[in-house]
Amino acid sequence: MAIHAGAPRRSTLAPGDHAKLDDLRARLANMKDEPGATLEALYAAQAVFSYVPPEAVTMIAEELRLPESEVFGVLTFYTMFHRKPSAKYVLRVCRDLSCHISGAPAVLQALNDELGTRVSEVTEDGLFETESVSCLGLCDLQPALMVNLEQHGPLDAEKARSLLADLRAREA
Amino acid sequence: MELVVTKNFGNPQSWTLESYRNAGGYQALEKVLNEMTPEDVSELVKESGLSGRGGAFFPTGLKWQFVRSDPKTPRYVVINGDESEPGTYVNRYSLELDPHLMLEGMLIAAYSCNATLGYVYIRGEYGLAHERTQAAIAEAYEAGYLGRNILGKDGFDFEVTFRRGAGAYIVGEETALFNSLEGKRGNPRYKPPFPTNVGVWGLPTAINNVETLSAAPAIIENGAEWFQNLGHGEATGTKMYCLSGRVAKPGVHELPLGTTARELIYDYGGGVLDGRPLKGFKPGGASSAALGPEHLDAALEPRSMAALGTIMGTGGVVVYDDTVCMVDAAYRDALFFEEESCGFCIPCREGAPNLVQICERIMHGQGTMHDLDLLEDLGASMMASFCGLGQFAHQPVRGAVRAFRDEFEAHIRDRHCPAGVCQFSNNGRLA
Repeated sequence: MAIHAGAPRRSTLAPGDHAKLDDLRARLANMKDEPGATLEALYAAQAVFSYVPPEAVTMIAEELRLPESEVFGVLTFYTMFHRKPSAKYVLRVCRDLSCHISGAPAVLQALNDELGTRVSEVTEDGLFETESVSCLGLCDLQPALMVNLEQHGPLDAEKARSLLADLRAREA
Repeated sequence: MELVVTKNFGNPQSWTLESYRNAGGYQALEKVLNEMTPEDVSELVKESGLSGRGGAFFPTGLKWQFVRSDPKTPRYVVINGDESEPGTYVNRYSLELDPHLMLEGMLIAAYSCNATLGYVYIRGEYGLAHERTQAAIAEAYEAGYLGRNILGKDGFDFEVTFRRGAGAYIVGEETALFNSLEGKRGNPRYKPPFPTNVGVWGLPTAINNVETLSAAPAIIENGAEWFQNLGHGEATGTKMYCLSGRVAKPGVHELPLGTTARELIYDYGGGVLDGRPLKGFKPGGASSAALGPEHLDAALEPRSMAALGTIMGTGGVVVYDDTVCMVDAAYRDALFFEEESCGFCIPCREGAPNLVQICERIMHGQGTMHDLDLLEDLGASMMASFCGLGQFAHQPVRGAVRAFRDEFEAHIRDRHCPAGVCQFSNNGRLA
């Protein structure tokens, strides 16, 4: 049984999302007996909800027989897990050394200007958000970014804008 | 120049089993299983001088011998593919273009260690590497390279589990990686005991970098002396160097270990971008202290880098030209370590933000000469950090002060940024 500490955290689930909990439970079924599957369980929750809501943390703790605090601790440790609904396209812009001195700040600026958002803010249509992240290991593509896990680079402000246009065209 | 770990990169569909076999793949494993004992393998690898390509350069054969000597079972082989050091992307190339080479190396290690279980751990951001490595593992099971009685060798069993990270540089530290594999926060563990005795799940574990294991098959096939002769003296074999920053042609180059920075940057990287003057370079990722152009002829190998007060690190060489402000560059490194500190121990958790603040003060024209001394003191305190992250986090900042002191002093004394990056307004704040 999961250990429940303190008051339950406020639900962030949209009304239609409660049914998705069954989907998550099904995905967790084959992880129950696999030792150390917490990260994969959190990935499963994120695949279902686009983020890891409190209800998912509780369910993972129950299914994997772990303290809820431990699951929450793992969730908050790793930067690729979201605790609020994330965009369909997460644009991870590298901010580290090689990208920085190759023009990354202009790329991030162009994306935020074009979207009218700040870093980690989801656009109203739910499609886009930018993140400013640590080195992505794409230094040969400097300045680089990832659209979810898709590699892009080398970029400049102009190419960043046309990348956005391409992504929007996919959705049209 | 003979290639060891990148030799298949140009082959069509190089990541598939078919292509790998066409290039002679898995023959070293057959040789090992048919002709060698586990002891023979570790002795040969020791003799070759192969050492950990992740940056620690620990002798690989010795590591395998230690694991084999521990009576606890099951023993593990873990592939560290968490590569996250800024300026480094060599493992990404291997994982995307030749995952079978790494798996064959892993199997050779497993045989030598008498290990029966393995993990391949790849950082969360490497999506294409996940796909191709998982596919390669499935192909290897299908073809009988993984599973029970591998290649008909009675009693040689090895099972591999694929795992991915989820965004955390610290997990590249081997004991933090074990915690991550066990589904925990990626905090490091105290050493000793070392992973060879107490590794993942508390069991003996050979944890090796992707590039290290990828070198093993060729050593088996061609011998120790062949591998030794590929390098320079005691720096044996080759290294995948990668170039980024203000260089004309960023890219991966497999070269003799001990190649000079001048050869790498000018002969292979096409020199500095737009032919500008070289201000300096980092020899191996964010953790390494930058060197000035007077050290271009130093060999990129562990000993000569240590003699210059820096580290060989990952071989991720970052090039600086005159458009780069060294205070800004040091600040970027400090920001990285501040972000990536796991927060577990105080010297690192508190020290890294202090590095950031001192750099910020200097960039804002509010630094004092005392700040340069303070950086030295802070670095000494951070040496008390629990793991290598904190012990190295201050090196790039202090190294920048050592090598480019004039530039720091110009910011402090004259409120002037020689590279024109930091713009000071009248009140001394960054514009």
